[in-house]
Amino acid sequence: MKHFLYNITGGNPRALLEPCLVSLATGFCQIVPSLLIFAVFDTIYLAHAREQAMHMEKLWGICALLAGWMLVEYAARARAHEKTAMVAYQLSATGRTELAEHLRKLPLGFFGRRDPAALTTMLLNDYSNVETTVSFYVPQLVSAVILPVVVFSIMLLFSPQMALAMFLPLPLCFGIMWLSSGLQKKISGRHVRAREDCAGRLQEYLLGMREIKSHNLSGERFEALREAFARLKRESLRMEIIVVPIVLIAIAALRSGLTLMLLIGTFLLVDGELSLPIFLLFLLLGMRVVEPLSVALVHYAELRYTALSADRIMAIRQEPPLPGTGQAPCGGDIRFDRVSFAYRHTDVLQEVSFLAPAGRVTALVGPSGSGKSTITRLIARFWDVRQGTISLAGHDLATCDPESILARISMVFQDVYLFRDSIGNNIAVGRKNATRREVEEAAKKACCHDFITALPQGYDTQVGEGGCTLSGGEKQRISIARALLKDAPIILLDEATASLDPENEIYVQRAINALVANKTVLIIAHRLRTIRRADWIVVLDHGRVIEQGTHEQLLAENGLYQHLWALQSRTAGWSMRPA
Amino acid sequence: MRTAKKKTGIARLLEIADAKRRLLVLACCLAIVSSLLMLAPFLSAYHILKELLRNAANPSANDVNLLLFWAIAAFVALLAALALLYASAIASHYAAFDILYNLRIRLARHLAALPMGFHTRESTGTIRKTLEVNVEKVEAFIAHQLPDLAGAVSLPLLMLAGMFVLDWRLALACTLPIVAAFVMQGVVFQGQKAREHTRQYHDALEKMNAAGVEYVRGMPAVKVFGITVRSFLGFHAAIEGYREQAEQISRTYKHPYTLFFVILSSILAFVLPTGLYLLGGEPDPSSFAVTLLLFLVMAPGLPMPVLKLLNIGGNLRMIAEGVERIDALFATGPLAEPDRPAVPKTHAVAFEAVHFSYAEADSATDAATDNAAPEALAGVSFVAEENTITALVGPSGSGKSTIANLIPRFWDVSSGAIRIGGVDIREIGTAQLMDTVSFVFQDVHLFHDTIEENIRMGRADLDREQVVAAAKAARCHEFISTLPDGYATRIGEGGTYLSGGEGQRLAIARALLKNAPILVLDEATAFADPENEALIQEGINSLIKGKTVLVIAHRLASIREADQILVMDRGRIAERGQHEELLAAQGLYRRMWEAYTDAEAWHLPAGESGAIKEAA
Repeated sequence: MKHFLYNITGGNPRALLEPCLVSLATGFCQIVPSLLIFAVFDTIYLAHAREQAMHMEKLWGICALLAGWMLVEYAARARAHEKTAMVAYQLSATGRTELAEHLRKLPLGFFGRRDPAALTTMLLNDYSNVETTVSFYVPQLVSAVILPVVVFSIMLLFSPQMALAMFLPLPLCFGIMWLSSGLQKKISGRHVRAREDCAGRLQEYLLGMREIKSHNLSGERFEALREAFARLKRESLRMEIIVVPIVLIAIAALRSGLTLMLLIGTFLLVDGELSLPIFLLFLLLGMRVVEPLSVALVHYAELRYTALSADRIMAIRQEPPLPGTGQAPCGGDIRFDRVSFAYRHTDVLQEVSFLAPAGRVTALVGPSGSGKSTITRLIARFWDVRQGTISLAGHDLATCDPESILARISMVFQDVYLFRDSIGNNIAVGRKNATRREVEEAAKKACCHDFITALPQGYDTQVGEGGCTLSGGEKQRISIARALLKDAPIILLDEATASLDPENEIYVQRAINALVANKTVLIIAHRLRTIRRADWIVVLDHGRVIEQGTHEQLLAENGLYQHLWALQSRTAGWSMRPA
Repeated sequence: MRTAKKKTGIARLLEIADAKRRLLVLACCLAIVSSLLMLAPFLSAYHILKELLRNAANPSANDVNLLLFWAIAAFVALLAALALLYASAIASHYAAFDILYNLRIRLARHLAALPMGFHTRESTGTIRKTLEVNVEKVEAFIAHQLPDLAGAVSLPLLMLAGMFVLDWRLALACTLPIVAAFVMQGVVFQGQKAREHTRQYHDALEKMNAAGVEYVRGMPAVKVFGITVRSFLGFHAAIEGYREQAEQISRTYKHPYTLFFVILSSILAFVLPTGLYLLGGEPDPSSFAVTLLLFLVMAPGLPMPVLKLLNIGGNLRMIAEGVERIDALFATGPLAEPDRPAVPKTHAVAFEAVHFSYAEADSATDAATDNAAPEALAGVSFVAEENTITALVGPSGSGKSTIANLIPRFWDVSSGAIRIGGVDIREIGTAQLMDTVSFVFQDVHLFHDTIEENIRMGRADLDREQVVAAAKAARCHEFISTLPDGYATRIGEGGTYLSGGEGQRLAIARALLKNAPILVLDEATAFADPENEALIQEGINSLIKGKTVLVIAHRLASIREADQILVMDRGRIAERGQHEELLAAQGLYRRMWEAYTDAEAWHLPAGESGAIKEAA
């Protein structure tokens, strides 16, 4: 439970204290009218027992108290209402922000193996669950448990037998809930997975809409989505069928206490061991206490469900960010020294050593899957190396603060992500507090000023999710403008970016030329012609460096590089012709 | 937009629930009986009190059996009530999950029937929220609120009826505060202002969702540019905006909400004075006192179901808002389907004076209109004959891709017509049209499924050999065979990630397997993976055999041999003809050809020289 409270509050369970206290106060407020009514019963009973007229002044006095108590209750409830809601919204807002900040600090490799849909579900839906729980279930549960304990202690003073009878089934009731929580956890776990699966398949359905349409796979014809929906339906029903009776049995157990008390009370009363007013007091208080408890039991199941949300959130928050605190040097030689790396048990790089000198262009060449992209990603610390070291100007990157490394690097890869914002702001992310002039300057150098000004709202034109309204080459040039604005000493570049928009290839090429001037450049090369003038070429195959040198040296070696060069010279002039 | 008598709110919810009417009526009946049985403890308490009061002077004279009977009867009734409640819950949940499933499937189907414009415009986060969160709100209504509503309405009514029979004056004293509380609730929570609040709340929530989806998906960019949540375009603001909206709602309703609760939980404060006042004028005060006691025991039980009603009332607005969003999605106009779909006999593709603008197409399905946008196609006419290659070339934004997008009706033309074998494509049913046309796009989307399913794309009628044959012709059999599970290897999360070129070849295999007579192809596919370029080129050559081919061309060399080249410029066909003719014409094509040959010669400058060597 402590763990759970810790999780749902994002490590600040104290925040729950006040909502619980105000809700407890409200709970006690509700007992007072029962006591007043007891006084009414007592008065009427006395009149009956003694066969005299009723003590009307006393009864009217109780009336006045009852009316006055409404004000007290109003004050307590208003406060509880406000407190619980505010704390819940505040907790989930800071929780969301903190989780988002934490996500940012995780190695980029972490995101490669996560379904982004599941992560957003966590950031959004899971926190909504936490919100409801904090504002509603937890305070209610706390007061529903504390209230009976207090009442029980008071009742013990009047009649131990009656009090015991009333609360005897309570441990049984908690026992049932406790025993069943494991089962519930398992079932709701399945349900949560079914939901996540639905979210994933739906995301895929939406992103692959063109393929879905063109293969006539709409709606239930897309089997993966239909199955995910069907599974969610099955799991939801399963959860209801199994979880609901547990709660109902617990309620029955709880209520049996009241019956037991009535039975025992009746015998005690008839035997003269219990006075009628005390019997009545038990009856009234008993009904008051049982009610919130049985409501709380109903909500306990929901609490377990939130527990899963909280667990997931905490699992991510405990995911360690990459270590390293030193400031990365501002540029310099990048040296790979016997670097090995495996991704999920598959060796990707083995004993890779090479030097990318400062201010020079180093090209990485090799068939797809040879490890070219991995090398650039390791420099950016998407992951850490398994063996060997990567150093920048002699500093081991593993000891540097990942953020400071990223600050030294610009990456121009094929997948450009544009935010749902104006084009101007999308470029401006490159440098904090960039002025409009600096943004335009960078845009001009990246050859995108012209097409941007041709857009209806110029730099204020909004781009959609994933920037789907611009051509590949235009997006690419915007990403280069960002990089120009950032002006980092190291450039990691995928040469294929230049061919994303062949009509405007020449512009992207100019933009790249502007970007790489006087920088330390590592380029993933596909078209060997492009990098034939590179200062150094590293040829990779199956994760190993098999050749390195300049273009001329490598051609003379008659190895893989020479083979690839010959192959590409052949395919360059291809023309489409039915086979 | 559409002003037809569309039902909203509860009426609409009931309409949705009607699909499982019998089951739900059963669930409601069970809930009512169950809530009636829940009254048994009060009845027992009354009888017990009456017996005790009768013998107040001499407790040992009480009828022990009578007292025991009522005590046990209360418990037995409770057990029965819980059992019925369970039965009711299962019935209603069964109905609810079934309705939800159908609703989701219908929504998914509807989404696929919408023009692509909708999908490029709407964020997937917003659409997903409708299918996930809003659809689940419907569950809350059908599975929980509907039976609860039945119980919560019938229980206080029955209680009050019983009370009126006993003593109408005391019953009135119980009724007044409840009525007052309800009127207040109706005024405050169902009014225009409340509707506005709920709408704003949902807007804030959606905004936060959209920003969150983007934050996670754009994580590489977020990290590389050192963007923090606070500086991230809008995310922190959206989180805080949502919080403020939620807090605002809770502050606005703080007083009415509290007052409502206090009035309901203080019915005693109304009944007791009424009772005392009446007691003075009663001829038989002691029998009236017993009735008063009964009221005092029962009255605190009244608010319970009534409070449930409050919850339902509050949630109902949230649910109705959710349903409105679902309906808004349904109301977004899908592309019109013909009543009697025609089947084209031949497969030449003809564009006849086609005009098209994206802005106009979007505004047809959306309220927002922006007339200023230029036409993407301004009067395009051409014929792509069967068994020929038609190449579309031109600067980006010239309309090449638009032509490709209009053939599968991802959008509909603004005016003019597109015909296949003489039949307007709007007269061909979508299913038939999609069977007639294959596409190979630049950005291939692979599904989280096996390689085989990714080639098959739902076509269960084909056998394994045909899939393998297509994979071989698309030159992907070889790499598939080296994967751990061959064709059964799963792609994506927890499976294999394919390179761009491998994905392209799978897409070619898909198209080969589909074997549609018309092929729309983005030639850039051939260049996604330069190491395997030769393989993709072979794959494409075997794919285009004997088809009506429309190719969006980027690298002019590859379409030198096309039967017809259409040179697009700003939505019009500027030039048309074959390669040699167009070169001789000294126009746009000639200039593009020269630029193309220059770009091919590009290389990175060496670091030491520092000088930027530009091509040309």
